Amino acid sequence: MKKKVGIYICQCGPNIADNVDIDKIIESVSAFNDADDLEIVAKPYGLLCSGEGKDYLKQEIEENGLTHLVIGACSPRDHNNTFIGVCKETSLNPYLYKLINIREHCAWIIHDKDKATEKAIQYIRGGLRRVLYQSELFENKLDTNPDVLVIGGGIAGIEAALSLADADRQVFLIEKTDRLGGKAATFKTVLPKQQDAVEAIQLKIQTVQDHPHIQVMLNTRLDRIIGFLGNFEAEVRSIDDAEKMTELKIGAMVVASGFSLYDASTHPDFIFSGDDEVYTALQIEQMIAEKNQVTTRSGKAPKSVAMIHCVGREEVGYCSQICCNAMIKLAARFKTQSPDTTVKVFFRDLCLPHQDDQAFYNEIKAQGVEFVRVNRIATEGSQIKFTTMDENEGSELFDMVVLAPAMIPADGTPDLATKLGISLHETGFFQEAHQAINPVATATDGIFIVGTAHGPRGIQATLLQAQAAASKIRVQLIPGEQIVPEVRVSETLEAFCMGCKTCLEVCHYGAIVFDEDKGISVVKEAVCRGCGNCVGSCPSGAIQLKHFTNPQLYQEMIEAVQ
Amino acid sequence: MDKPNQNEFKPKIVGFLCNWCTYAAADLAGSSKMEIDSALTVIRVMCSSRVDPNLILTIYFNGADGILIAGCHPGDCHYGKGNYFTRRRYAQMKQVFETLNLDPGRLQLSWISAAEGNRYAEVVNAFTEKITALGPNPINQSSLF
Amino acid sequence: MSFSNQVLVIGAGIAGMEASLMLAKSGKKVFLVEKLSLIGGNVIKNEESFPNLECSTCMVAPIQQAVLQDPNIETMTLSTVEKIDGDVGHFEVSVLKKARYASMTDCIGCGMCYEPCPVSLSNEWEENLGEKKAIYVPTAGSLPNVPAIEAEHCLQLSGKKECNACVEACMFGAIDLSETDEQMQLEVGAILLATGSDLFDVSQLTQFGYGKYPSVYTSIEFERLFASNGPTLGEIKIRNSDRQPKAVAMIHCVGREEQGYCSGVCCMVSLKHAHFLKHKLGDVKLFNLYTDFCVPDKTHQKFQKNIIEETQSIFHTSMKDIKVTEADSVLNVAYIDAKGKEASLNVDMVILAPAIIPGKDTEVLSRIAGIETTEIGFLGLKSGGLSTVETAREGVFLAGCAEGPKDVQSSVTQAESAVGGMLARLSSLTS
Ligand SMILES: Cc1cc2nc3c(=O)[nH]c(=O)nc-3n(C[C@H](O)[C@H](O)[C@H](O)COP(=O)(O)OP(=O)(O)OC[C@H]3O[C@@H](n4cnc5c(N)ncnc54)[C@H](O)[C@@H]3O)c2cc1C
Ligand SMILES: Cc1cc2nc3c(=O)[nH]c(=O)nc-3n(C[C@H](O)[C@H](O)[C@H](O)COP(=O)(O)OP(=O)(O)OC[C@H]3O[C@@H](n4cnc5c(N)ncnc54)[C@H](O)[C@@H]3O)c2cc1C
Ligand code: SF4
Ligand code: SF4
Ligand code: SF4
Ligand code: SF4
Ligand code: SF4
Ligand code: FES
Repeated sequence: MKKKVGIYICQCGPNIADNVDIDKIIESVSAFNDADDLEIVAKPYGLLCSGEGKDYLKQEIEENGLTHLVIGACSPRDHNNTFIGVCKETSLNPYLYKLINIREHCAWIIHDKDKATEKAIQYIRGGLRRVLYQSELFENKLDTNPDVLVIGGGIAGIEAALSLADADRQVFLIEKTDRLGGKAATFKTVLPKQQDAVEAIQLKIQTVQDHPHIQVMLNTRLDRIIGFLGNFEAEVRSIDDAEKMTELKIGAMVVASGFSLYDASTHPDFIFSGDDEVYTALQIEQMIAEKNQVTTRSGKAPKSVAMIHCVGREEVGYCSQICCNAMIKLAARFKTQSPDTTVKVFFRDLCLPHQDDQAFYNEIKAQGVEFVRVNRIATEGSQIKFTTMDENEGSELFDMVVLAPAMIPADGTPDLATKLGISLHETGFFQEAHQAINPVATATDGIFIVGTAHGPRGIQATLLQAQAAASKIRVQLIPGEQIVPEVRVSETLEAFCMGCKTCLEVCHYGAIVFDEDKGISVVKEAVCRGCGNCVGSCPSGAIQLKHFTNPQLYQEMIEAVQ
Repeated sequence: MDKPNQNEFKPKIVGFLCNWCTYAAADLAGSSKMEIDSALTVIRVMCSSRVDPNLILTIYFNGADGILIAGCHPGDCHYGKGNYFTRRRYAQMKQVFETLNLDPGRLQLSWISAAEGNRYAEVVNAFTEKITALGPNPINQSSLF
Repeated sequence: MSFSNQVLVIGAGIAGMEASLMLAKSGKKVFLVEKLSLIGGNVIKNEESFPNLECSTCMVAPIQQAVLQDPNIETMTLSTVEKIDGDVGHFEVSVLKKARYASMTDCIGCGMCYEPCPVSLSNEWEENLGEKKAIYVPTAGSLPNVPAIEAEHCLQLSGKKECNACVEACMFGAIDLSETDEQMQLEVGAILLATGSDLFDVSQLTQFGYGKYPSVYTSIEFERLFASNGPTLGEIKIRNSDRQPKAVAMIHCVGREEQGYCSGVCCMVSLKHAHFLKHKLGDVKLFNLYTDFCVPDKTHQKFQKNIIEETQSIFHTSMKDIKVTEADSVLNVAYIDAKGKEASLNVDMVILAPAIIPGKDTEVLSRIAGIETTEIGFLGLKSGGLSTVETAREGVFLAGCAEGPKDVQSSVTQAESAVGGMLARLSSLTS
């Protein structure tokens, strides 16, 4: 078929026109005749991105029956989408168009007009060569399933489930134990501003259980998943009855598997056995929940309590964010239980990064809780040895010692990560897509991580993340609406692939799967983001990135060296 | 600044810039009207990791005097870890160049963020100077290829 | 009839932008009101953001672009909300849109109009470390990349003198000095306040010598000093001089006691600055004066550890005892050390990390929006333990630093959560 390429050079007011000789460009590129069946239409225009400019382009495309389009103008970061939009309103496939940036790359930076013109000609010729090698690409609309699987029935999972169910999503909530609520459900004491939490959490649990859109599956774990955003299939299995497997079709997943505590007994500085008066903060919370008071093993109220912060912080390599607060809260509890209890808090840094934290701390301090800043601390049973900041050593015996062990990822986290195909952060918690600007998503579209599965945090921050993930799902998967995946994605060329699986390793998004039958790799187009990393990795040139193929790039760059 | 005997030689340099950082830096350098040598031809790729060894060798054997690959700073890649792979492939390519007895100095990898318009100009100009000093790609002079 | 298909977002920082994009994606028409001439908020002032030390422009520019290009988002810059009437589903909002004098559609951002302008002003956005003209964009790379004119300083507009220099310089006829402020009425179903925060005014605490000694900086000033698109193009030179600092003290928690809370991000900011200095100046001596390291995230402690190796951390016992004095361009920082003894350091630059405090407009906004402020002065959530984004006025939500000090991650999370809250509230009206 005869090819008819339109080349339009934008003057960009004086920005391009003053600094390169547009007539010369037109003259030069009009003379380009690399092939017989090629016809070129080359014209200057005032401002192509303006309303009139866009109309002009549409008209030119249709009237001239253009088969390809090259625009010499500004940065694609400014106006690529503008011109793609123009093409979409015409009969020209938008992937048969190419924007060449002669403003930022010639007119504005090459201060000699002749040189700038020469360069612009070279760029436009490169664009012309390239566009002839481009192919039509077609957007593919996919149906989606708006339903969601939530893994973990702690406060994080409960909140995500509720937010989604209220948005009319069917939610499947799987929990590996026989009850909902996770750790927070047992707390009787919470931070001062969270007093309603105790009841609110119970209410939420009840609502989840009764909700028509939520199917709770206790004693259940995930077996495997396949698919991608909008179209996942998950198999979940009963822990009690290995025969009982359920297959779920969902569009997205929320991982809310929670946390465990660092095992303080493995720490060389903290020596204690089950008979000593040494407890973790969580054990104290549980004691309060069970009998509404804190007693020693002999059943007496402790007269002196040592509270030790940051147990295992060095070992795990991060600060757990909530334990300072939780410890101060428990210190307050000891004081309410009996105001004349001696409570000493041993800490190195106080991490109180929320609005009300410091006021609470001041209040507790005023109630007579003593805060001792220490450089080092060790226990042997309830005998405590410490070095203060000014290098003084101390040793004291207490009726009770409360440790704040670091929060660590829940048991089974690595296994869950493997099943889901998502990565772990070096601390062992799940890895988010982007720490700052995409914190609850993962590298796999459609899989979200929330609550303490994501990292140590308190109830409030946990709820926020759960709600955030629910919002993201709500916005990404709208019932009845289709999604349009990116079309400039990679594809494997079956004939060249030798099945080495190198590409599987490099893809950050798990977009490449291995077809065991054929022994080759296949790109899941709906998952691929089009970075081209796999192309660079493949030793046999078996992958090509559409719209950035080697022949296309070759044509574009070859002008540079001629 | 002109070095008398090199006045004749005008290097041809191909630069692969990743869309999210370095290409943006080039835009910033452009809108700040910084003066940049015309030796460089920019090829936009979505991520620096798209630049496969094939492209590099192809353009080198077609006569490019210098090849620049530039992308986001380590850790900033828009696609997670793409530029770590770029770095590895770059190291490999350097070795390939050495093995083939080509000058690995004609190949350069730089990290330039979107805010670093001035650094972009500096890097491009310095690389152009360096390649000018190295002289033409021997391919262009030998009859071997 | 309810206006549940339209929403208002106030403040185009990272929180406001993220929320707007999501709301637009869900099909809502979004009015995004920003009082400055550019969008992006505080993050774009930072060259790099912790914890990844990622280039902030690279991280945020695609978001800014997406906001500006989204057909469902109407971004209104140089605008403020003056009144909010009605209630959830039926808010009627008055917005004052100040004249920009340059057309958002005709201007192509070539920058030809600044140079001819005869009026030079101190650039507030650059923390007054640089200058701008009466017609300006705050910094290279501002988005939208369209200048605005400060009417009170423009010769022509203030009536001081006739001038038409910028109009003549613009080849696109994009400048219109006859433009006037506009009063607009919006009808929206729900509102998100994402107006961010400010920094504690450190000049109140004279002991630190801020304002008196040119080599004492605040953290945000230092961000701009370090930024490669900043007033010095990223060269670290002491104010009014050509000197590079050889020894720098970073003082944490300035204003924490006065404000009564820990801001949760300033330690990380100070550490980041230590890294910047080391990275750029090599053999500079660095001192971190602190009492508590508050580095509460899975990533932060490692960040701290890495940077601490490059600096000397000095534990001191009380903020009150720190005193900065200057003699012969040398700053002396006196403090009380861990043993309770007097000690001091000589440095040539001090960077103060001020507490994050409620934004200037908080009072006004709380009145307009009809919501309470918290004990420490930020916009307040509905009381009761578990509210995360909703305020006491139904249909009005909060996100980001407007609700309290936080980092980018938490600001974005809260914004995303608020979107869910807004959508849920709006759909409960229609169903
Ligand atoms: C001593 C102590 C005191 C605290 N006090 C406070 C306080 O006062 N205020 C506050 O805000 N925060 C407090 N916290 C923090 C609070 O406990 C957490 O923020 C909260 O519990 C996190 O909830 P979650 O749902 O993320 O995790 P979890 O509560 O750990 O719940 C996770 C759930 O997932 C399930 N699960 C795990 N793996 C799987 C799997 N593979 N498949 C299925 N299900 C799985 C678990 O069984 C569990 O039910 C305290 C923490 C401690 C340790
Ligand atoms: C020096 C410094 C360094 C920092 N570095 C980091 C870092 O490295 N990493 C990190 O995670 N966090 C960092 N932070 C914190 C980070 O800047 C904030 O978390 C983030 O900016 C909060 O975003 P926001 O959208 O809530 O508010 P902002 O970014 O402040 O945005 C608020 C927006 O609202 C506008 N506005 C204000 N009032 C009104 C009004 N009345 N009407 C209309 N619009 C209004 C403002 O102009 C602004 O555009 C730093 C903070 C400081 C001070
Ligand atoms: S929150 Fe407090 S106790 Fe917990 S690790 Fe951090 S500093 Fe230590
Ligand atoms: S790297 Fe190439 S050859 Fe190896 S499996 Fe992937 S596509 Fe096939
Ligand atoms: S182009 Fe990128 S996202 Fe797509 S398959 Fe290749 S590596 Fe994965
Ligand atoms: S009209 Fe005003 S803004 Fe324009 S150049 Fe004159 S003083 Fe500057
Ligand atoms: S000269 Fe005109 S087009 Fe250029 S930046 Fe100024 S107003 Fe915009
Ligand atoms: S996107 Fe810039 S290097 Fe990957």
